[in-house]
Amino acid sequence: MSEESERSPNPGAPGTSRRDFLTQIGGGACAVAGVGSLVVTLDYLKPKVLFEPPTVFRAGSAVDYPEGTVRFNREQRAYVIGGGGGVFALSAVCTHLGCITRYLSDEKAIACPCHGSRFDLEGNVVHGPAPRPLPWLEVTADAAGNLVVDSSIIIPHGKVTRA
Amino acid sequence: MADWLRGSAVYRSIVRHGTADTNRNRSLVIFENLFLHVHPVKVREKTLRFSHTYWLGGVTLVSSLVLIATGILLMFYYHPSVPQAYRDMKELNYVVDNGLFLRNLHRWAAHLMVFGAFLHMLRVFYHRAYRPPRQFNWVVGIILLILTLFLSYTGYLLPWDQLAFWGVSVGTNMAKEAPLVGEGIRFLLLGGNVVSENALLRFYVLHCVVLPVALLLFLSVHIWRIRKDGGVQGPPSDVDDPRPEESA
Amino acid sequence: MSPSPELHVVESTDPLAVPRRVALVRPDTRPTVRRGDERYVMTFPHLIVREVILFQAVVIALSLAAIVFDAPLEGIANPIETPNPAKAPWYFLGLQELLHYFPPIVAGVLLPGLVVLLLAVIPYARINLTAGPLWASGGKRTALALAAVTAALFALFAVFGCWPIAVPTLLTAAAMFAARGGARGGRLRRALAQVTLPEWIMTWFVVIATLLTVIGTFFRGPGWAFVWPWSGAI
Repeated sequence: MSEESERSPNPGAPGTSRRDFLTQIGGGACAVAGVGSLVVTLDYLKPKVLFEPPTVFRAGSAVDYPEGTVRFNREQRAYVIGGGGGVFALSAVCTHLGCITRYLSDEKAIACPCHGSRFDLEGNVVHGPAPRPLPWLEVTADAAGNLVVDSSIIIPHGKVTRA
Repeated sequence: MADWLRGSAVYRSIVRHGTADTNRNRSLVIFENLFLHVHPVKVREKTLRFSHTYWLGGVTLVSSLVLIATGILLMFYYHPSVPQAYRDMKELNYVVDNGLFLRNLHRWAAHLMVFGAFLHMLRVFYHRAYRPPRQFNWVVGIILLILTLFLSYTGYLLPWDQLAFWGVSVGTNMAKEAPLVGEGIRFLLLGGNVVSENALLRFYVLHCVVLPVALLLFLSVHIWRIRKDGGVQGPPSDVDDPRPEESA
Repeated sequence: MSPSPELHVVESTDPLAVPRRVALVRPDTRPTVRRGDERYVMTFPHLIVREVILFQAVVIALSLAAIVFDAPLEGIANPIETPNPAKAPWYFLGLQELLHYFPPIVAGVLLPGLVVLLLAVIPYARINLTAGPLWASGGKRTALALAAVTAALFALFAVFGCWPIAVPTLLTAAAMFAARGGARGGRLRRALAQVTLPEWIMTWFVVIATLLTVIGTFFRGPGWAFVWPWSGAI
């Protein structure tokens, strides 16, 4: 007991000397401050307002899309396609590494110029390195048949919008 | 004229030793100079041979010096904003005197630096110059290689032409595939979800400030440790050869 | 030269030991150690002059290149129009070529990460410090292991259709087998017989990296399809 009280003058914390205790407090404070400033800096680096293009766009009327029509909207990077008894929209951004795909009208296929991925008109991967099919985007139609596409909302494959 | 200059009080205050015609003064050249004193006063004669190092580290260092000089000059005409960045490229190419030359020099020196660093790494590997006590300097070298690649990559976006935009788009989409942190890292790097003006500004700051400073820091450690570890290390036969020298 | 006295040399196998030179000076010679590499010269002028020459040579070469070849500049960046093909800088084209064969997580994250990690640990891995010539110990087991690893790697890369890696793997293994017992062969085989396992692996890596980069740079056209460099499609 006497030996231990010699090493630890603080009887409340047996085995810890005052010096060890203060070292731990100091070290802990430095660690907290370090982690805290790192987190705050990372947060600072994260932009809060982005001036990126809007994700909602009009795609005309449903009667413009008879079976087999493919229209490519450049600004929105999306295909609006008539098929399956209605209209659906596909993202034109390759799921591989984000290149913009092209529609090859004579081959009825969508091809990526960067690494040679190919998709059919429903977005399924035919071959190439793309890991996933092209996502389907939400298409809504009002009573008059005007179509609105929201490229930020991804819907399950095969969900065709009928006007 | 030269003698008068050497004798002047101002010259004597800067260079404290006489002409380098004695070994004493030649030593003073090295250790009284901030920039030369990473060298020892004497070096092993063998390390001067071409086949000892092929001077590959030196080539890489010189190209980095060329890059710093030309890079600073290019910065005087460059605005990291869309579409001004691209217009500045056109201005450098067609309007500014020697602008095209400086831009070319910067581009080819960058290629040479990447190539030289890679060859230097191979040379050190095949000469087994990474062995103790040089282990840590090899690791510093790998860090320098990665920094060089990042420098070159961030610089690739700055002209804001099609080549730059799509090269960087593809590259940063690769980062997205890293599990858990990939998306976050890409967002921080680009300052957004797509390669945009934010990304251009961030790459500019990385390319002109953050990465060069990091490179210079590690470069200093790298060169300092060459000296501390006993000078450049040539082929394995340099140290390991157990046979006695036969020629007298 | 008079015959040397009998000496027994015991070689240390400890790679971490710092080498130390011991000179045996026979009484009939002058007491100077005559190893060429122990000669020292003054840094100034011998080294400094060479450094200045190197600096000048590199700057002159780069200036000539900058006068003759112009840095590329294409049209202004256009987020809606992907050029076909979209190529990264040349030192990343090996990686881009890999992306053609493997899923992005493998080619973009796993393989480069692995390469950097393996490069960084080279001086700490014992095999790099101790390895002798690959076939030094005759090596029936070495041959078996080598054959098994080669077959496994070849099968792995062949499954992904990645021939630019699969074929060099076979060729490297063939060269490794050719080095077996090469100590009594011609000059080339004698040199091959001295190569250690880490050196073989690095050579394998360099051959693959070079091949992938060359293919990505010169042999890839629109849609990342294979083209001949002289077909002008780049």
